Amino acid sequence: MSQILLSILTFGCLFSVLTLSLNLQYARGGMINFGIVAYFAAGAYAYAIFTQEPPKGLDQYLFGFGAPWWVGFLAAAVASMLFAIITGWPTLRLRGEYLALTTFAFAEMLHSVLLNERRIGNGSVGLSNIERPEIGWMGIPEGYVYAGAAIILMLGTALVFRRLLASPYGRAVDAVRDDETAAQAIGKDVARLRFQVFVISAVPIGLAGALYAMITTLVSPDLFTAEVTFFVWMALVLGGERTILGVVLGTLALVGFQEIVRAIPYESVRTAQLAKSVEVMLTGVIFILVLRWQPFEALGRRSKKA
Amino acid sequence: MTLFAQYVTTGIVTGCFLILATIGFSLTRRVEGFLNIAHAELLSVSAFTTWGLNAGAGWPLLPAALVGIIVTAVVGLLIGRIVYDPIRGHGPAVLLITSVGAAYVIHGAMDAIIGTGIRTLDIPLATTYKFHGVRITDYQMIVVGLAAVATLSLALFLTKTKIGLAIRAMSANPSLAASRGIDVKQTSRATWLLSSGLAGLAGVMLAMVATLSTDIAFNQILQILAVAILAGLGSLYSVIAAGLIVGIAMDVSVYWIPAGYRPLIAFAVVIIALLVRPEGLSGKKAR
Repeated sequence: MSQILLSILTFGCLFSVLTLSLNLQYARGGMINFGIVAYFAAGAYAYAIFTQEPPKGLDQYLFGFGAPWWVGFLAAAVASMLFAIITGWPTLRLRGEYLALTTFAFAEMLHSVLLNERRIGNGSVGLSNIERPEIGWMGIPEGYVYAGAAIILMLGTALVFRRLLASPYGRAVDAVRDDETAAQAIGKDVARLRFQVFVISAVPIGLAGALYAMITTLVSPDLFTAEVTFFVWMALVLGGERTILGVVLGTLALVGFQEIVRAIPYESVRTAQLAKSVEVMLTGVIFILVLRWQPFEALGRRSKKA
Repeated sequence: MTLFAQYVTTGIVTGCFLILATIGFSLTRRVEGFLNIAHAELLSVSAFTTWGLNAGAGWPLLPAALVGIIVTAVVGLLIGRIVYDPIRGHGPAVLLITSVGAAYVIHGAMDAIIGTGIRTLDIPLATTYKFHGVRITDYQMIVVGLAAVATLSLALFLTKTKIGLAIRAMSANPSLAASRGIDVKQTSRATWLLSSGLAGLAGVMLAMVATLSTDIAFNQILQILAVAILAGLGSLYSVIAAGLIVGIAMDVSVYWIPAGYRPLIAFAVVIIALLVRPEGLSGKKAR
């Protein structure tokens, strides 16, 4: 039981980082990013590539720098940011659905490249045995340390975003979302603000990717499908956009739901498979119901705006 | 050169299938005003209903396919009425995200009923014909033929019948259409039936030319999106051109680069198209 709670906490906080960043892009920046998994994957792969040993034996990847873990983290942040710059530069002038589809397209392209290009990360096999720092730290079990790291990353992200958005800069961002023409009229560089928000919010996603690679010790294209994107969107919708607390609670609730369903033991493969299908169905139903009535959003708005 | 011609031919078949799969999607986009991600799941509803009746219950293909298409049209209508109608006022972004939820529900249901594994229809093996060294199977020819017939009859339906004209009026300007006395609800229902029925037809074709697993829908939605964006999320006729472009581009790319990159080609086309012409092939602003 405590094992389940621990993994809910770890992955809940980890994915909260993604939801927070999406919240910044969507609720504050007005940008629909349907390719959030790509920045997550960029971070995870960058971490893996920078920390792993140089290739040997059956490995087909070209680069492995054997760097310490903190270099991997830096690389993850930079990779995610670079990918945001590359994808944001040409696409951010698109609006609404078009932006959603283009970001989605970019994410699928990255997935396709990672799957087919063996020289990056062994193609569909992925990279395993990813470097983890030595953390026999003061006798605390590793699970707790990783949960702690996820919590710190989440709190850090939340604090930075909060600071950022409470500042005059944040009000400029809000102004752009609410009325672009008006913001432009008072001298705000709309395109630049949107681009900045897009790139800034990609950094924590990359860091979360690195931490994710560290915890699972595995990166493969299967882990970074559009399902992650949809999952984060669901968490955002569930938690009610715009409030930091709501976003985090929504993610924790969704992760908790999945972890608990997965923890139920099954007797046969067929029942396990059936349960998985039912889980997918239920997720969809919850999603539809939440979007229809948006109960948490009303709650969050009433208490306070973050 | 023959090999190249072969890829172009396969590309045309893929393109014809994509046209059928996308027309319903584009129709929904125009009339209902949002991108229905669950549209691709309807393809698999139809494909598996046909499969269940054909391979499971032993029906001949034709009645099985007809029932499959009708079932899909009704499922699509029900989803439209139950899921999308109540939230129509929330804007296209909410509807788009909701449709992801709907896709999950359908996908989960299909998985629960059908289970994993690869299925094929119980139909005779394809016969291959050769024209100047280019091979094409009879099923592929059926796909091309059906796509042509379906597109033509849809065009006739939309320009000659009363409901068709109402649908076009709705897609051009919903509030004006409503104020001119068009029954908005009825037209919306007709659109759901029509677009889902077209998804059903595309699903049957998919069942004929490909092997089936419950994951097929996801791969299809990527390509459908690609075609729809390229076409400009609107005009029906540009869907034809866009479907052929994406289909041929994907299959011809195999001539130069590994086949694993096929989906990437579809999206590369889309990204280039969006950057050069954000309004799509049709040249009309969709918003």
